[in-house]
Amino acid sequence: MLMPTQITRYIQLWLIVFGICAMSACSNGEDAAKKLKPNYDAPHPTSLGGTMIDAMTGEPSGLIAMIAGESAASAIAGNIFNSLLKYDKNLELTGELAQSWEVSADQRTITFHLKPNLKWADQRPLSSADVLFTWQKVTDDNTRTPYGSDFKLVSKAEAPDAQTFRVTYAVPYAPALDTWAGLHILPKHLLQDQDINNTAFARHPVGSHYYKLSDWKNGQYLKLSRNPYASQGQANIEHLLSRIIPDKAAQFLELSADNIDSMALNPIQYARIFPSRPDLSKNIGLYKELGNSYSYMGFNLKRKPFDDVRVRQAINYAIDKQEIIDGVLLGLGEPVASPYKPGTRWSNPSLQPYPYDPNKARALLREAGFSDTNGDGILEKDGKPFSFEILTNQNKEREMTAVLIQRRLKEVGIEVNIRVLEWASFLGRFIKPKQFDAVVLGWSLSLDPDQYGIWHSSQQAPGQFNFISYSNPQADKLLEAGRIELNPDKRMKIYHAFSKILLEDSPVVYLSAGYGLSAIHKRVKGISSPAPAAGIGHNTYEWFIPKAYYRNEINDQ
Amino acid sequence: MASYLLKRILWMVPLLVGISLISFFIMHLAPGDITTSEASFNPKASEESRQKLRALYNLDKPVIVQYGLWVKRLAKLDFGTSFASHQRPVFWQTTDKDGNVTLGMIQEALPITLLINVLSLLLIIGIALPLGVISALKQNQWPDRGITLFVFLGFAIPGFWLALMLMYWTGVQHSWLPISGLESMGHENLTWPAQIWDTLQHLVLPVFISAITGLAGISLFVRNGMLDVLHQDYITTARAKGLNENKIIYGHALRNALLPLITIFGLSIPGLIGGSVIAESIFAIPGMGKLFYDAVLMRDFPVIMGILTIGAILTMLGNLLADISYAWADPRVRRGVM
Amino acid sequence: MKLVWQNPLTLIGFIIITSILLLAAIAPLIAPYDPNAINVKAILLAPSQLHLMGTDGLGRDVFSRMLYGARISLMVGFVAVGIATLIGIVLGAIAGFYRGWVDTLIMRTVDVMLSIPTFFLILAVIAFLSPSIWNIMIVIGLTSWMGVTRLVRAEFLSLRNREFVLAAQALGAKDFRLIFGHLLPNSLTPIIVSSILGIASAVLVESGLSFLGLGVQAPQASWGNILTDGKEYIQFAWWLSLFPGLAILLTVLGYNLLGDGLRDAYNPRSNQH
Repeated sequence: MLMPTQITRYIQLWLIVFGICAMSACSNGEDAAKKLKPNYDAPHPTSLGGTMIDAMTGEPSGLIAMIAGESAASAIAGNIFNSLLKYDKNLELTGELAQSWEVSADQRTITFHLKPNLKWADQRPLSSADVLFTWQKVTDDNTRTPYGSDFKLVSKAEAPDAQTFRVTYAVPYAPALDTWAGLHILPKHLLQDQDINNTAFARHPVGSHYYKLSDWKNGQYLKLSRNPYASQGQANIEHLLSRIIPDKAAQFLELSADNIDSMALNPIQYARIFPSRPDLSKNIGLYKELGNSYSYMGFNLKRKPFDDVRVRQAINYAIDKQEIIDGVLLGLGEPVASPYKPGTRWSNPSLQPYPYDPNKARALLREAGFSDTNGDGILEKDGKPFSFEILTNQNKEREMTAVLIQRRLKEVGIEVNIRVLEWASFLGRFIKPKQFDAVVLGWSLSLDPDQYGIWHSSQQAPGQFNFISYSNPQADKLLEAGRIELNPDKRMKIYHAFSKILLEDSPVVYLSAGYGLSAIHKRVKGISSPAPAAGIGHNTYEWFIPKAYYRNEINDQ
Repeated sequence: MASYLLKRILWMVPLLVGISLISFFIMHLAPGDITTSEASFNPKASEESRQKLRALYNLDKPVIVQYGLWVKRLAKLDFGTSFASHQRPVFWQTTDKDGNVTLGMIQEALPITLLINVLSLLLIIGIALPLGVISALKQNQWPDRGITLFVFLGFAIPGFWLALMLMYWTGVQHSWLPISGLESMGHENLTWPAQIWDTLQHLVLPVFISAITGLAGISLFVRNGMLDVLHQDYITTARAKGLNENKIIYGHALRNALLPLITIFGLSIPGLIGGSVIAESIFAIPGMGKLFYDAVLMRDFPVIMGILTIGAILTMLGNLLADISYAWADPRVRRGVM
Repeated sequence: MKLVWQNPLTLIGFIIITSILLLAAIAPLIAPYDPNAINVKAILLAPSQLHLMGTDGLGRDVFSRMLYGARISLMVGFVAVGIATLIGIVLGAIAGFYRGWVDTLIMRTVDVMLSIPTFFLILAVIAFLSPSIWNIMIVIGLTSWMGVTRLVRAEFLSLRNREFVLAAQALGAKDFRLIFGHLLPNSLTPIIVSSILGIASAVLVESGLSFLGLGVQAPQASWGNILTDGKEYIQFAWWLSLFPGLAILLTVLGYNLLGDGLRDAYNPRSNQH
């Protein structure tokens, strides 16, 4: 194990090699020891104020989420804008701007009642007219958003009074409420005569949530400050500063030096570096929660031999998922058997992943007509060796996963090549025209169980998301039924049945669901641990920093 | 000379057209466009909307038509706005009707990159000049060998590795220097001298890393130039006349050896605006390298073309400057280049 | 030739390069493990007698990967520079020999190529071809021939009117013979020197591409991708970045010392001391 002093020695050794040894005559690490060591574990009363600094790898392109689209934008905009609904800590829908909502008997109309006295950060009233305006914008053909399709299913939207917003769907649409939990409501009075695609508003947003943007230095940081007119009450922490640090290794250095308070960790940092560095663990708390995504290997079902379910099952048996969890995620993940987050209502608890069983894999491959006729260790069928290519994008964990799969498949006589691509080529050149054998990728798990776009046989056109070309009439029927069933229990049964079919068909090999790992400095208090279903981030507005631990901002003395 | 200059400047027009055409087609050769970004790979984003987006950006038109549209806009000196960050102009700031000023992307990134590269060039010259002179004077003795070894070590070390080491050592271990970024928290509350001091501290490591790799080129150039000059007849004559050795070295030899350096500076102009994506990523500096790299990954065509065009113009001006100054410095070459 | 070895640095460079080439050549004989053998039970082990340079994130033996990586990294250098030198010689020779509009055309093409950032060309070509080892070599080669072209042209321009060339021409030698029999052999030294220095740069370019995730593909090892993997673990598994970093450093240093030494030795003026 490498202790800090060893690292110092290691670095100094190199500095000597580079001829800068003169500088290294100084003490090692004593400066750090001179710093005060406050007792972060002592109880502290809630206090208002302070600044929390986090780091992100990418910069938002703008803060209108429907147009920006990337995760960095949603993360920041989520602190500035409200939606009608939100998910609570148990992942149940609850009102955000809406106080209540009703679904009509025919399940086609939803009526939202807004909370009274809502205000924008500029003190102008927030009313149903703003909601209607937002809906008009997201469905407008001139708005450069890729997210309009869900809202175009609304056949009529109206705002009968300032507190009421009503939408009517042509046919019942079960994921409707979920979609309203994801749409940030925008202020009509500031945007009505602007071109939403390139308005300056995207960089000077005015919202209704806990924070407002107070400073944005391009490529450096975004600073949020508390919004005194927030619709949901007051957050405790005064400022949120998000620094843009593209390199994860540099982020970790900043965390070690106490220049940032929180960052997302990778498994190595979480499971290896922290346990070996008591000096870090003393000041920094670690949090782990099941993430909202899973990784999988998907087959191009239009290509032979992946059209044969026995081959797909054989490969599923031949891959050791636990090895991937242990090797790539260092144990910080869980196996999955359905495309739903384990432990939630939609995940079918009776399903088990395919166990690692190379003998069963070999038997299935034999059954499918594969045998090693020329004794080279690779199976053949009709004289052609079983060899295929796994595509993945530039992502360290996926690359390592592919290498582990390659090794296991070789053991049952399948030769695998790996190709790693930059995202735009990956999508443009291979996925869209369906020029691939298999991919290692991940899907995010949305909170609504509807996955029509991913698995329904009608969604196979180039650019659509069923790019593996999965097609099963039974699964199609269930996916269609799930979209119009609003009763949660009946819906649950539908998706449990769907997951079972999917597992048997094995169009993808579920690999793992990794934990979201984060490090947060112990000066930040009020974090729920263990994390509830919604994750630690569900109550950030309740987090606080005791006055004694405020950061010293540099100032002119 | 005047006709030569005119010829070279006239040549720049077809060259610029050539560069922009080649860049444009290479850019479209790579698969994917702005709608195939990772963020768009989300089942909530429908293919239909993406097709619509493509039409809004004119990406559904043939490449040559898109090129025509780009040239047409460029003729009005309009580099357009970024696809990825819709609101931001590529080159220079715009003001909307409410008086909101949005700074241009190149306008913001270029000064940062220039600052780092100019500082590092000054540092290189400051170190490489004496090193080169010492090397030449002590040719084939141990100071020469030591200097050669040192500058090559600087060239050979993988920069990002050294950078991370130094960040750990000076930032985490000792808190001597900030680790990354350009400003400390609360920078805006400082007086301007304190702000400059703060930013300079942030620039120490990036400038150092950038300088150490460039040392070898200049110091060897000075060394070899000095050696060439020291063996010229006029130096021998000066020596024979019993002129003071210092005067010979600094008055004659060095001055003549430095003339070709002008060429090097002319040629380094594109390097000055280029920026390094690796260094900028590690140090979290929003310079030209990162801007360009992100634009290429996002297929943000207006930004790519803007940077390439401005880069090409500056490169050609640099080349021209280098050639002219070279011809001016060394009459023997004049026939060769023209 | 004796002159060359008078400079101890050149000798050091030569020794570094030959030993690395030797190690790469006999990699299969001395590598203790299969470089791609995964062992999830033995990830991130520190260097020990069992694993001289420790193990990486998938439990692969770093020493074995370094040896095999040497083959890849050195091959990238050789092939890329070979391609660039070949293109450079042909174009430079044509430009320098025939002059006139061919020269103008070629030199302006060089200007154009120099005005487009190499990284952009590499990225675009790799996006199109996907980053296999061969494609990386080809791409680096196709984007770095401009320097050699300028060099060869300049050499030809200066040799073109020398007596021995004019004499051969007067005796009726064909263009082909003039170029390959007289001009090229006399320009060889600077070309060789620039190739040696070019190999050093190509090794660095490969490691830079790996940093950006565009380098040699997994599971194949190259020094660049071992170093990039190691970057994430720099505070914990120092062996993952130290050894590849050092290998790149030594190789690039070796080539530079050798190239520089050769240049010095063949530059008559510098040796009159």
